[in-house]
Amino acid sequence: MLVRCVVALAAVVLLPLSASAQEAYPSRPITIVAPFPPGGVADLTARPVAAAMEKVLKNPVGVVNKTGAAGAVGMQSVAVARPDGYTLLLALSSISIIPEADKIFDRPPAFTVDQFAPIALISADPTVLVVPADKPWKTAKDFIEDARKRPGQISYSSSGVYGTLHMAMELLSHAAGIKLRHVPHNGAGPALTAILGGHVDALASGPAVVLPHIKSGKLRALAGWGERRVAALPDVPTFKELGYPDAEFYIWAGLFAPKATPEPVLAKLRTTVRDAVGDPDFKTAMDKLETPIVFKQGEEFQRFFDADARRLAEGVRKVGRIEPK
Amino acid sequence: MLETLHNLAVGFSVALSPPVMLYAFVGCVIGTLVGVLPGVGPLAGISLLLPATFGMDATRAIVMLAGIYYGAMYGGSTTSILMRIPGEAASVMTCIDGYAMARKGRAGAALAIAAVGSYVAGSVSVVGLMLLAPPLAAFALRFGPPEYFALLLFGLLVLAYMSSGSMLKSLAMAALGLLLGMVGIDQMSGYFRYAYGVVELGDGLGVVPVAVGLFGVAEILATAGQPVGPKVLKPKLRELLPSREEWRQSVAPIGRGTVLGFLIGIIPGSAHIISSFVSYALEKKLSKHPEEFGHGAVAGVAGPESANNSATSGAFVPMLALGVPSGPIPAVMLAALMVHGVSPGPLLIKQQPELFWGFIASMYVGNIVLLVLNLPLVGLFVNLLRIPYPYLYPAILAFSILGVYAVNGSVVDVWIMLVMGVLGYVLRKLDFETAPIVLGVVLAPMIELALRQSLAMSDGHYAIFFQRPISATLLAVALIMIVLSLRTFVRRGLDWRARMALAEKGES
Repeated sequence: MLVRCVVALAAVVLLPLSASAQEAYPSRPITIVAPFPPGGVADLTARPVAAAMEKVLKNPVGVVNKTGAAGAVGMQSVAVARPDGYTLLLALSSISIIPEADKIFDRPPAFTVDQFAPIALISADPTVLVVPADKPWKTAKDFIEDARKRPGQISYSSSGVYGTLHMAMELLSHAAGIKLRHVPHNGAGPALTAILGGHVDALASGPAVVLPHIKSGKLRALAGWGERRVAALPDVPTFKELGYPDAEFYIWAGLFAPKATPEPVLAKLRTTVRDAVGDPDFKTAMDKLETPIVFKQGEEFQRFFDADARRLAEGVRKVGRIEPK
Repeated sequence: MLETLHNLAVGFSVALSPPVMLYAFVGCVIGTLVGVLPGVGPLAGISLLLPATFGMDATRAIVMLAGIYYGAMYGGSTTSILMRIPGEAASVMTCIDGYAMARKGRAGAALAIAAVGSYVAGSVSVVGLMLLAPPLAAFALRFGPPEYFALLLFGLLVLAYMSSGSMLKSLAMAALGLLLGMVGIDQMSGYFRYAYGVVELGDGLGVVPVAVGLFGVAEILATAGQPVGPKVLKPKLRELLPSREEWRQSVAPIGRGTVLGFLIGIIPGSAHIISSFVSYALEKKLSKHPEEFGHGAVAGVAGPESANNSATSGAFVPMLALGVPSGPIPAVMLAALMVHGVSPGPLLIKQQPELFWGFIASMYVGNIVLLVLNLPLVGLFVNLLRIPYPYLYPAILAFSILGVYAVNGSVVDVWIMLVMGVLGYVLRKLDFETAPIVLGVVLAPMIELALRQSLAMSDGHYAIFFQRPISATLLAVALIMIVLSLRTFVRRGLDWRARMALAEKGES
């Protein structure tokens, strides 16, 4: 806290200086906002990214967790931040979901996707479908066939309504034409606890957190949402292979700046992130988290981002407004 | 048994190595500090310190973070007792009788009992963690939404024991608390309730700003409003320690609080907060002198303070034995393990024996460190009361605002605290008790989520609560408790509560 105060104070004091002198970017500490609490995917990706960028730029890069309202608070704060390259956002897929959900409820959006300039994609982890090992389904085919026979009977937990884990399941439901029973939880942790306790029948999850439970025989992985199979689960097919190409979903993390950030600053940030991602310390950190580095920038990131946003927007619209029974 | 002893010996060799000892000590000191600071609780403390552990090895990191967690439970009682400001959410109950004891000049005794109770609870519950972790963890996982709902109903029953005055008034306050707890995103539909376009209200009213406002700020306002300032307390050295009588009264509550806290603590969710509520109710129910509660009952400090401490050890059971993120704090600690490449899961104890047993041993050491640290501090803290109010209270107000702001860096939280402070002041003037409001704010979101999750699981059939053995049992016990209290109500017409209210009226 103290450090944060000192940094903020220094920023305030130095601001007039940097504005008057046309000096090179960056000349003062850069802040990366992680809109989720410490220990989550956004935070755990932001920290090594910040450390590696600091090495490349030889300029302090800090991480601030600005949490609340499923990420909307932190994302909104960057959307309206001064576009000078000193406030960046490490966002997850939910950046495209929140404005769509706002639309569904006819409320003024907390922010819109086009308030941000994408810098780079850093990681993308396909979700995997897991079920308790004592359930009868041995393959994704068993699961989908059973779900067809008993619509609305098989339950799954998620990190929350319109959350990433909910969206993954919805995309599958629509691709396969099945209906599942949704039991939302407040976060990915409680969602995992629920399936380990046998209170729900299925869960879409990032691979890293469920791997130990798959290895110990508590959970069984049936299929993955990725374009390719998950490296740690070579025997688990993708939904694409099984004939459901629309069931594609990644928990991805990317770096964004406010839209009006000047182009030279954005260019500098792009080269910085490219070098940072190649840093051996960064690679070790991501290896330990078992999160694959998927680096895309410029046109390539924009295409990935647009395609993902389109899929998610469609997913949110298909779910529609959830009316209480 | 022999194997356990052998493992423990290995654990102690890890825990007593100088670097690990140092990190455990640092964790305990930071924990005490975040506990003492109003508003800042263990979650905020651990979150802020998490990045600092990335450079350490896994054992040191986890030992330090755990130290912050249980250290905060020691520190949390300090400001509750001295100033009626809960240092963190699990210390709300301590505000009631702890502060009443301080007003009677027994602040030192209350602090000492809280420290010793925390120590006993901390050490005994580690034994439970060590011997029973795997079987208990499997049991804890059977608590799904229906079971959690039934448990939370017990939390609501606590209401009946919370107030010493009018039942009607405390029910009204609880209803207000439950309504305030409805603010925020509806977890089942994503709808923003009562947010009025303020995105920050999406997460609802935090327990910490509400409790600090209703208790602390309201107390400061009330004191300032008195025509004659309160007498500054001048504690004498020999009054610092609890009397023989006070020790005698706290032995049983500490024992009960330890067992109760551990059992509630293993259940996934923010159970350490609930454990202190339930412990308070239990002590009041069992007490021969329930009328003393609210006016400085020793058991009202000893029970909840022990319960919240042993609940922290309980929370480690599913986390270490199964790798399950059993609450917000264990979830952050699991993330700390993953950063170090240790994958938390059912195989952790086998694959990382040094980490698990070192962790266990460090908790024994840590609790001793905390006791040694906290007992001498009692003398120091009590002397804070010598500071004249014109200096003391503005300083407390400043610290409260800082602490509440620091948790989320949110100005909205500060406003919530200030508004609650004014509300608390008005309610006090009208003779309403504010503790049931806090209970409502804590319980409302949890009860609602658990109820609606249960109904989502059963596709809307209420039978789910009676088909599952644990929830059916809990609901049956709750029903019996309600019937029993109704019986005394009907038979005697006036129970002790009503007599108390009458007596108070006679006095004024």
